[in-house]
Amino acid sequence: MAKGKHPKSGTQKPGPSTNAAKTNAAKSDSAKSGGAKSNSVKSGKRRPPGPPARIFPVETRFQQLARRTGGVPREQAIERAQSALEEAKPAYEDFLEREVAGLADLVRTVEAGNDEPGWIETVTFRSRQLRDSAGSLGYELVAFIAGSLCELLDSIEDSSEYMESIVCHIDALMLARQRSYRRMRPEQVPELTRGLQRVVKHVTI
Amino acid sequence: MNLRDLVILVADPSSYISMLIHGMLRGFGSNKILEVRNSNGVLQTLMGQKIDIMICDMHLPPHGGLSLTRAIRGKTDNEHRTMPILIMSSDSREATIKRARDAGGNMVIAKPISPSSLYDRLSWIAFNPRKFVDTETYFGPDRRFKIEGYPGGVGRRAGDKEVEIGAESGPALAQDDIDNLFSSVQTGKD
Repeated sequence: MAKGKHPKSGTQKPGPSTNAAKTNAAKSDSAKSGGAKSNSVKSGKRRPPGPPARIFPVETRFQQLARRTGGVPREQAIERAQSALEEAKPAYEDFLEREVAGLADLVRTVEAGNDEPGWIETVTFRSRQLRDSAGSLGYELVAFIAGSLCELLDSIEDSSEYMESIVCHIDALMLARQRSYRRMRPEQVPELTRGLQRVVKHVTI
Repeated sequence: MNLRDLVILVADPSSYISMLIHGMLRGFGSNKILEVRNSNGVLQTLMGQKIDIMICDMHLPPHGGLSLTRAIRGKTDNEHRTMPILIMSSDSREATIKRARDAGGNMVIAKPISPSSLYDRLSWIAFNPRKFVDTETYFGPDRRFKIEGYPGGVGRRAGDKEVEIGAESGPALAQDDIDNLFSSVQTGKD
């Protein structure tokens, strides 16, 4: 597709190209005035000031088109998005099963002394994914445990030293993925949440 | 807000998170959504077609969403230089939000993302165009602005306090406080 043309209309794009022109004009203006100003600065103690800041209006295609009439009203849009998330939940529970099982397998393999290059990056990526997806879909306990694991992983330098703390979180995730636990909130299992918080606190201090 | 025919690029390393955001955007009426998993994918997409807004994860591999944002804003002959960029972050500490703001992000949205928080931030970008600032060290939306409330949304709660700008690190911030950090320069706190 030709650069500068919008895929839908095939015409020259309206906003940003104009903005790019404005930007270039702004830059050349800045260069002129800035150069004059810097000559007036005395040498020595102070660094010569750079060109003055240019402030210019920008109206992008996003702003122009998003303000058109005929869009979905806010309440309806949010309701429809929420419905899309509800529809994703059955598939998510299968995904949750697979992800937690995959995490547990990986950590068990490493714990057993097998070499798994990049395993900590994989655990970090998967725990972030679990935290963010579970949070968006309302699986609060899973989101809490995965979030606690992320916090732990972010704060340790040598993961092998803290393998026990990682395994502790994986065990908690194994519990939380079960049908009877997966819709629970952290405050409904206070012993578990307090225990994980203590583990993370111990590691991060 | 009318998102029909606007090209939205979702850049997140997780296919699952992208799918959830995709579903939310469809619910908002969007019909042109592209997904990429890394910065190279973003750059290739930007070279190939016009993108109207990018929703980008802060941990986008290989160098992170902020480096990517700085690269897009910094390249002078780039037609996407002023494209709105909404940065997603699960790290909502004050220092992190400031870094996103200073990289040239239009707004930051805290993960996990809810439909209402996503809608309101898109809506704010659409209905409150901000001037751009071009200096030696920064190119991006003017960081001095005040959120008075989201169009049609709930806005800040009456009892909310102004955020205090202090140490470089600290506890995670609520979404309202993240939004408010973008206005801190104007109020003389940063």
